[in-house]
Amino acid sequence: MATNQQSDPDELTDRQQAAVETLLFSLADDEFVLAERYTEWQVRAPTLESDLALSNIAQDELGHARLWYDLLTEFDYTESELLFERDPADFTHAALVELPFADGDWADAIVRSYLYDTAEQLRLAALEDAAYTPIADRIGKIRSEEAYHREHAENWLERLCADPDGRANVQAATDRLFPHALALFEPVDAEHEATIREFGLRSESLADLRERWLSITVPLLDSLGVRPPVSADGSPPELPVAYGRGGEHTEQWPVLHAELTRTYRELDRTNTRTITNDPDHAR
Amino acid sequence: MVVHRKHPIVMNVEEVTERAEPRAFSPHDDMPEEYRKAATRMIQFHANSEIMGAYLERPFIRQAPSLDRKLAFSAKVQDEIGHGQLLYRAAESLGIKTRAEMLDELAAGEGKFLNCFHYPMTEWWETPMIAFFVDGAAMRRQATIKRTSWEPYAHAMDKICFEEGFHIKHGEDIMRELAMGSRREQQLLQEAFEEWWPRILQFFGPTDDRSTHHDFSARVGLKTMSNDELRQAFLNAYLPKAEKYGLEIPDEPRIRKEDGRYIVAEDDLDWEEFWEVASNEYDGSHEQIGSRAATQEAVAWVRNAIDRSEQSQP
Repeated sequence: MATNQQSDPDELTDRQQAAVETLLFSLADDEFVLAERYTEWQVRAPTLESDLALSNIAQDELGHARLWYDLLTEFDYTESELLFERDPADFTHAALVELPFADGDWADAIVRSYLYDTAEQLRLAALEDAAYTPIADRIGKIRSEEAYHREHAENWLERLCADPDGRANVQAATDRLFPHALALFEPVDAEHEATIREFGLRSESLADLRERWLSITVPLLDSLGVRPPVSADGSPPELPVAYGRGGEHTEQWPVLHAELTRTYRELDRTNTRTITNDPDHAR
Repeated sequence: MVVHRKHPIVMNVEEVTERAEPRAFSPHDDMPEEYRKAATRMIQFHANSEIMGAYLERPFIRQAPSLDRKLAFSAKVQDEIGHGQLLYRAAESLGIKTRAEMLDELAAGEGKFLNCFHYPMTEWWETPMIAFFVDGAAMRRQATIKRTSWEPYAHAMDKICFEEGFHIKHGEDIMRELAMGSRREQQLLQEAFEEWWPRILQFFGPTDDRSTHHDFSARVGLKTMSNDELRQAFLNAYLPKAEKYGLEIPDEPRIRKEDGRYIVAEDDLDWEEFWEVASNEYDGSHEQIGSRAATQEAVAWVRNAIDRSEQSQP
């Protein structure tokens, strides 16, 4: 356990606060944008049952995003500033979660979820003793829900890969999404990343998390007859040019951001309505 | 001791009429085909409407102007799919059609659903028209179905009514926010209301003398209130609410109150359009059904892949 634990946002040094904010933005933005793509599946999934399952997952991710954004409001951000009025270029999610998908490409939803939720499991475990305790306090609730997401994705991977056509679609989604998933292990910026480690926010380096992620995902995909795009010696592919995080986003992101802020802009809103005050007790 | 035995022969309609009361019949009873078909038609319509309503509202998960609203809209769309699932199960229990057949009919443009879900909805300020008024109207009807004679249908309604209560509260909250917003928000809300109001009045269908299926359904206890009675109850509750939020009731269709009852000038409503909608022939019907069919076609490969791998299991 970290020795320099801190629970009061006002007691953080400027450098620590900047690192906490950077970490929270990347966690929140990943969940928020992933959920935004998942909701496209509502009323469009292969069966009523899979529709309900993916809706559940989308709402979990939105709930997690709210938990993280809520911690950012303690640094005096409003929801408008965090979401609706923020320059889309300033979002720090990995491009994995913003990528659009072809109509009916259910393999995309499943592979995206599998790659993301496996990374999420590792990332959250490494934050369990975060020196800034409001982060550590929220890990338990999120981890229990993410375990279900992983199980859902793994079950579907098995089912799809039991059929040659299904497996071919999983392969195509893996080829496309796998390089983007590596961005989940990229720092937003080197200086803040150093503070995240020194201050004791995350107990493992991003490079170590990435190695562990590869050691889980590569054998699992192999076992299903899907070839992950790694070289013979097991080294992963290059990051895509636009990978999000601290780098460029794809050209699809500003489009998505414009859609999700459309009503807010058209009605000249300057604030957002909160229905529940305490996100820890939300539905 | 009296041993209750399953009815040895299929009941005839006279017997059904005599025994009809809330939740009187279940899959343990041998119901006449006429009853089973009428109940299937009614429940299938209801289930289809849940799906098509969800279809119309899904884009507003993305367009919601706050994170909480987004969560609430996503939850609502999910609930409607869950209602569809429950209702198809209740319909299947009559033994006339399977769920897959009913979903195929919906995709093929043969399945019928509520008039309001045939019209496009593109703007956030229109959402209370469905989420408050149409859901409020549906709630009136659904509350009476808790007393329908087909027990699985009544049972599904217990859960559905409970959840719909939350949806209507959320719809009302969206409306309140718009009604108390800027002058422009108030105007947009009024415009949306004027456009949707006639459709909302037609939600309850034709007045009794034109209703095709009412007599039989009422006789065997499937329906417990007439369209006109339901509309009265709705107007009693919702006209004051519309006025409370500063909405002006359009001059047409003319509505006057006589001896405590609302009289709607039926000729002011476009019944030709209503019947076009009811037979899935309206432009909006083609749009909604066609795009729903396309999304279902796009994921057909998943169902095929699962079917094949399940068949090849030892």
